[in-house]
Amino acid sequence: MYLFRIAFRNLFRRTRRTILIGSMLAAAVVVFLALDSFMLGMMEVSFRNVIDFKTPHVELGRREFFDKKDDPAEDLPIEEAFVITEELKEDIKKIDGISAMTKVTDFTANFVGPREDYPVTVRAIDPDSFDGVFRNREYLVEGEFIESGGSGMIVGARLAELFELQVGDHATLLFRDMRDSFSTIEGEIKGIAATPHPDMNQHFVLIDSDNAYPFLGFDENKASQVMIRLKEREQAPEAVSRLNRLVEDKYRARSYRDASQMLVSLETWGYIETYFILGMILLVGAIGIINVVVLSALERTHEIGMMKAMGLKQSEIVRVFFYEAGGIGAIGAAIGCGAAALLIWAFSARGIELAAIYGGVELAMGIPVIGNVYGVWNPAAFIIIFVFVVILSMLSSLPPSRWAAKKDPVKAIYHR
Amino acid sequence: MSLIEMLNVEKIYRQGKISVPALRGVDLKIDKAEFTTVFGPSGSGKTTLLNMIGALDKPTSGSVTFNGSSIGEMSENSLALLRRKHIGFIFQSYNLLPVLTAFENVAFALRIARGNQGEKTKKQVMKLLKSVGLEGMENRKPNELSGGQKQRVAIARALVKEPDLILADEPTANLDSETSREVLKVMLKMNSELHTAFIFSTHDPMVMEYANRLLEIRDGRISAEEKK
Repeated sequence: MYLFRIAFRNLFRRTRRTILIGSMLAAAVVVFLALDSFMLGMMEVSFRNVIDFKTPHVELGRREFFDKKDDPAEDLPIEEAFVITEELKEDIKKIDGISAMTKVTDFTANFVGPREDYPVTVRAIDPDSFDGVFRNREYLVEGEFIESGGSGMIVGARLAELFELQVGDHATLLFRDMRDSFSTIEGEIKGIAATPHPDMNQHFVLIDSDNAYPFLGFDENKASQVMIRLKEREQAPEAVSRLNRLVEDKYRARSYRDASQMLVSLETWGYIETYFILGMILLVGAIGIINVVVLSALERTHEIGMMKAMGLKQSEIVRVFFYEAGGIGAIGAAIGCGAAALLIWAFSARGIELAAIYGGVELAMGIPVIGNVYGVWNPAAFIIIFVFVVILSMLSSLPPSRWAAKKDPVKAIYHR
Repeated sequence: MSLIEMLNVEKIYRQGKISVPALRGVDLKIDKAEFTTVFGPSGSGKTTLLNMIGALDKPTSGSVTFNGSSIGEMSENSLALLRRKHIGFIFQSYNLLPVLTAFENVAFALRIARGNQGEKTKKQVMKLLKSVGLEGMENRKPNELSGGQKQRVAIARALVKEPDLILADEPTANLDSETSREVLKVMLKMNSELHTAFIFSTHDPMVMEYANRLLEIRDGRISAEEKK
């Protein structure tokens, strides 16, 4: 108890020094927590956009379809479309937490403009069940959504802007059908949607499946994927696992994360970057702690000598510096957590416009977000960083405090 | 068995290539309850002798035993425990812990020697502070005390754990004669009641007057001895 008391009071003997090193540690904590909050915020909105507009919690399709879909050099393989049997539907319904499902057929096409063509993905949808899984309809800014059995198409706001299209204009989609012959679908622009998913906004066209199937050369009612929405995002891995056990081997179920490998890689690299920056700053903090302990030991040579004369063991003298360094760490971490909490509060209330960070380029670095990214509270990160900084500070103090505790008591007592 | 037994003790300090002998073949026995004064000119080896007896330093050759245990063969931890429980130090430069109050400085010494004894510790510390004339000043930190007051805290700190031996380097140097007398009376009381041995390094005639054994040291050797 007395060792702790001495360490605690020693913290305030050189207040400026304590504050300086504490501030260095606090800066590290703020940077880490702010980056963590930003990363979580960005990933949260990115995956939400993926789920709401592109790939919901679970998608089911033929293995070969996904293999080619994941290869940027390949067109989407229309020949891998399949008939959704009642048996398959029953299997899907067996998974826990299912909220809604819809079938879609994605295929590669050229959006034919007056002067140039533009590569797009056409998504043939079932408008009756589409809204249960996706939220595109809510982001319609002009016109109306396509109806079941109706003609026409929904284009993204950015695509409409590129081709100077308005509702009521006509557009042509050029693609290869099941027989590998060129085919076209012409239709009126029924609506323009401005979703927060940049890829959806620029590279996707929605059409009614009943309207598309004859042009695709399907002789039956087929689809390339079954899109499944669950009640909770966290249920996806278990649902995928269950579904893969239930369906035949030629099918494969995968989650929104499996379908967004680039985003997952970005997430991983983002965390590596965050922890690297944290490591660098904490290294400087650790050097600061070592300096503080060395300076303190030099200043307190007499006291160390006296403590040894009083019978304190080396380990007990080390503990005084150990607690003291832990105190500096705790002060720095507490100030850092406080400052970070304010910053994250502002960040979560106001958000940061992603375009401002990435120079206004939509789909910058493959991040599927348009607009603001909001900070996310991560209480675990606060606890982890606090404990980490305190432990790091204490461990950094060990080498210099051992050096201090090994001082010859006679030399220390009569030190001038 | 003597409390302290020194046999042909030599201590040589090395300063680069030069060897400086501080003690040259000292033979000395100190029994329990002795009240000894060591005196001699500056640089004669008084402080080195006290450090050796107090287990702060080890001899270059010869042996020092404390209650029959050889100090030269003890580990660092064993030496620390020996000092903690059995030896009290009073230094001329006080060496109080500046972050602790007068009470805490004294209580700390008792606490590490005997463990936490709660209210008993508090009573014992207060009694001793009163006996050295520091009643009412227990909550002052060393920087709020005069030199004499600091020295009295240092004396109380050494006495509080009631050790077998107290080593004091010029303990009355910063005290007025009245306070010196009061402090020496406390020490004498401990000496007679608890059989605590005292070894002083001093030039103060008053301390010499109270001592029952006088040792003169010159050039690292005990040159004269007088028992009263």
